[in-house]
Amino acid sequence: MSRTTARLVAHSFKALNRFRFRSAVLMLGSLVGVTALTLVVSVGKGAERKMLATVRQLFGGSSILLVTGGGRIIGGPRPGAARLTLDEVAGLVRQLPEVEAWDPQQGLTGEPVRAAGATTTARILGESERFERVWNRSVVQGEPFDAAAVAGSARVALIGATVARDLFGTEDPLGAEIQIGSVRFRVVGLLEPFGTDAHGMDRDAEIIVPLTTLQRRVMNVDTISGAKLLVRDPARVEGTAKALKALLRERHALAPGQPDDFTLITATQVQKMVGKVQRVLFVFLPLVAAVSLVVGCVVAASLMLASVSARVGEIGLRRAVGARPWDVQLQFLLETAVTSLGGGVLGLVAGLGLAQWAAIRFTLGGVFSWQAILLGLGASALTGLLAGVAPARRAARLAPADALR
Amino acid sequence: MIELEGIERTYHRPGGAPVRALREISLRIERGEFLAVVGASGSGKSTLMNVLGLLDRPDAGRYRLDGEDVSQLGIDAQARLRNRRIGFVFQSFHLLPRTSALENVELPLLYSDRASIAGLGRRALEAVGLADRVDHKPSELSGGQQQRVAIARALVNEPDLLLADEPTGNLDEQAAGEIMDIFHTLHAAGRTIVLVTHDPDLAAHCDRICRLEMGRLISDHRRADGRTAAQAEPALLDAQEGA
Repeated sequence: MSRTTARLVAHSFKALNRFRFRSAVLMLGSLVGVTALTLVVSVGKGAERKMLATVRQLFGGSSILLVTGGGRIIGGPRPGAARLTLDEVAGLVRQLPEVEAWDPQQGLTGEPVRAAGATTTARILGESERFERVWNRSVVQGEPFDAAAVAGSARVALIGATVARDLFGTEDPLGAEIQIGSVRFRVVGLLEPFGTDAHGMDRDAEIIVPLTTLQRRVMNVDTISGAKLLVRDPARVEGTAKALKALLRERHALAPGQPDDFTLITATQVQKMVGKVQRVLFVFLPLVAAVSLVVGCVVAASLMLASVSARVGEIGLRRAVGARPWDVQLQFLLETAVTSLGGGVLGLVAGLGLAQWAAIRFTLGGVFSWQAILLGLGASALTGLLAGVAPARRAARLAPADALR
Repeated sequence: MIELEGIERTYHRPGGAPVRALREISLRIERGEFLAVVGASGSGKSTLMNVLGLLDRPDAGRYRLDGEDVSQLGIDAQARLRNRRIGFVFQSFHLLPRTSALENVELPLLYSDRASIAGLGRRALEAVGLADRVDHKPSELSGGQQQRVAIARALVNEPDLLLADEPTGNLDEQAAGEIMDIFHTLHAAGRTIVLVTHDPDLAAHCDRICRLEMGRLISDHRRADGRTAAQAEPALLDAQEGA
């Protein structure tokens, strides 16, 4: 860097103060754009991390999810959905040698739960003793229930961290009694904290009880809402799903062309869904944020052009005292870049701060992302440069004798 | 020091007849001269100053500065020459607003290749008697003080040649007197000064008066043997008597 260049850099910072209003407007433009971009990318990163973790934990590569009702991935059975019973699915699974483990599921949402002196609502899941393995969830305190508890409809419950906090505060919940609906259960274990899942649901506000206990004692039904099947060989997941589909259609006597009254979800479909979400997170949302940067860039360019017109005399004088055209061009480029980068840095701080707030508010987990920082700084530098080029060139092209007139 | 030979400059205005601002100007200026260029407005004196200051390129003719032909130098090389060797003083001061006197004076140093520029601006301000005004903004200074800041700026790089275009045109009589005193001091210290003015009283300060009319150099008189240059310049005398 030549002496003049170094001196011009320092000089451009003084221009921030000399043209306070213009600098403020320019900075605001890049601040808003970079804030939006940083926020979107950071939160997107956090959401993606969360989603992938959820998918990995709940839906390893070699699993098949069977849900009653056709058409949608998540949600309760639709009208006209097939009734699935434990025995029926057990019978089907026996015909599928590829399945190494499976877990049936039934559930209730927003169920009031009481303990001595406290009340909360929770999602109640009835599962088999195989849920730890199949759903990849574990019990961190106490013991999970066993096959005998499921066979005997034992009134034992495993509670999530949110439930434990709501009902027992800091006290030890193990061995305590809770009441789900009108049925009393004994807390035998604490579930490993999970956080929020991809749907924004707090998976720690859950209680897992033996499936049969939930069916017979709480809900008075004999159906299950779905099941998760683990396939031994990841390569055969699709084949197994196809076989299961054929078996189910045959059992439900569905004519060809009639839609499924159940839904099968495999890793392939989940991957597709994840891909769609990622496109929204990292293409569509950043594009929307980038629009504000483009607007900021156009505003900056026109403000700088106006500044050049207003400072023709100054440009002429600078040429007279020895500035080369390039020095003049560099000066205006630097003035634009410094303001734009300044706004960008502020926007980066604001965006990361907002992202941090969003992460806490929506329990997203870590949202700090290098991509967001690089993108934010890069975007503000680029807008500054782009906005500065035309004004700087115009300034450099002025003939000194005309500019001084 | 300066040799102009057959300098021509014609402006082509869109939709108008070309204006021949300078015609066949040949002029020698020696080191240490204090010279006035006079003439009515439109006579070409500002164009001459722009050519002398390397702010404008003649269409024909030769401009030698210390023997070197500078009229054909590249834009960047001319900028370097202006920075090192030529100081400008303008009628409208051309100070940067909202910028301290010291920073204004230091502006040419920004484009200088000097390694150390510390103290030069302050020294130049002291030379024009504004040592106590270094931190004042132009808006906090009188017209005369502003022009003194501009002179300090013109001097900060120690140029050989000082070009002043109507330096007192925006000033009252007293401030104008102070500015002319500074020019006399600079002249006495050996600096070459070219003063462009339409004001005969101002030209009367100089040792040599060149008169331009319609782009031509029509007279060139020196102070000699007790007569001032103004006395040797009959047209000027007429103008003074008429005033």
